[in-house]
Amino acid sequence: MAEKFDHLEEHLEKFVENIRQLGIIVSDFQPSSQAGLNQKLNFIVTGLQDIDKCRQQLHDITVPLEVFEYIDQGRNPQLYTKECLERALAKNEQVKGKIDTMKLPRISGRTEPQAVSCAGVE
Amino acid sequence: MKTTDARHPDRAGAEKTMENFSALFGAQADPPPPPTALGFGPGKPPPPPPPPPGGGPGTAQPPTAATAPPGADKSAAGCGPFYLMRELPGSTELTGSTNLITHYNLEHSYNKFCGKKVKEKLSNFLPDLPGMIDLPGSHDNSSLRSLIEKPPILGGSFNPITGTMLAGFRLHTGPLPEQCRLMHIQPPKKKNKHKHKQSRTQDPVPPETPSDSDHKKKKKKKEEDPERKRKKKEKKKKKNRHSPDHPGVGSSQASSSSSLR
Repeated sequence: MAEKFDHLEEHLEKFVENIRQLGIIVSDFQPSSQAGLNQKLNFIVTGLQDIDKCRQQLHDITVPLEVFEYIDQGRNPQLYTKECLERALAKNEQVKGKIDTMKLPRISGRTEPQAVSCAGVE
Repeated sequence: MKTTDARHPDRAGAEKTMENFSALFGAQADPPPPPTALGFGPGKPPPPPPPPPGGGPGTAQPPTAATAPPGADKSAAGCGPFYLMRELPGSTELTGSTNLITHYNLEHSYNKFCGKKVKEKLSNFLPDLPGMIDLPGSHDNSSLRSLIEKPPILGGSFNPITGTMLAGFRLHTGPLPEQCRLMHIQPPKKKNKHKHKQSRTQDPVPPETPSDSDHKKKKKKKEEDPERKRKKKEKKKKKNRHSPDHPGVGSSQASSSSSLR
C-alpha cells in the first residue's frame, strides 16, 4: 500500500520540478531556449500520463472533504488528523461518563428505575 | 387525538407517541355508558360503532382492542407484553467505556499528532514545494474545493504535443512583465539566530528573483554593509586615539618618546 503512495509521490515531485524549470525558462526566454521549452512541454504530457496510471491503483482510497478545506486555507492537513483524534477522545470520555452514571444506583436509594405511568398524558 | 404544545409545536417525537395513544383508543369514539348505569330505565340501544376508515371485512371490532391505523409503527406492533416497550439493543463487547484509541492501536498516532506541536502552515508539511503555498486558494482560484465542485472537462486521454502544435509555443525574448513575476516569488526561509541578529540592522531581505546576477549583487551589498560600518567605526576609533585632544594618547606618546631616548 505504501508503495502506491511512493510511486505517486515520486511522479508528482518530478512533475512539479518540471513545471518549476519551465517557469524559469519562460521568465527570461531566449531563442536558444526553445528546444528546452518544447522538451519540458512534452515532459508535462508524459508526467500527466504517469500520474493518470497511478490513479487506477488508488481508486479505493477515500479522502475526507474537510481536509481540502484545510489545504485551501493554507493550513497543515495534519492539524485535521490531530483535531479528529482529540474529538474522538473527548467523545469517548463523554460516553464513558454517561455509561458510568447509568450504572450507578439512584440518588434516593432505589435500585430499580420506576415505570413511567401514562396517566399524566392527556 | 393529537396534542400540540404551543410553545414547542415542532415536537415530532411527542406527536408520534401521541398518535400511538390515539391508536390505542382507536378511531372510533367510546361507546356511551348504558343507561342502567346512570340510574335510568332501559332506553334506546346504543348505536353501532362506526366502521373503521380502512373498511374491509370484520368491521365489528371490540372497542377495547388496539386498532392500529394503517400507517402505524411496525416496532410498536412487534413489541413485548408492554406497549411502547421496544426490544433492547443487543449487547456488544465494545462500548464507549473502553478506550477506543488503545483498542484500535492508535496510541502512536495520538502521541505523534497530539503530543508534539504540529506546525500551522502548509509549507511546513510540504517544505520542498515551490511557490507561495501558504496563501488561501481563493486568491488565485487554485482551491481544491472549486476543482471538486466544477471539475474540468477533459478529452479522456493525454496525447503528446506534435511539431505543429509546438509552433504555438514560440515566445518573445526577454523577461516577463512585472505582473507575472510574482509567480516565482518564494517566502523567505528562516535563518539562524546569529544571522537573524545581523539582519535586524540591515534592510529586510528582498524576495528571490529568477535572475542570478541581481541576486549576487544583492548578496554583495549585504556583505558590504556591515563591513563598511565596522570599518568606519574602526577608523573613528583610530582617529580618536591619535588626536592630541585625547588624554590617553598624549601620555602614551610621551612615554614612548622617553623610552626611545
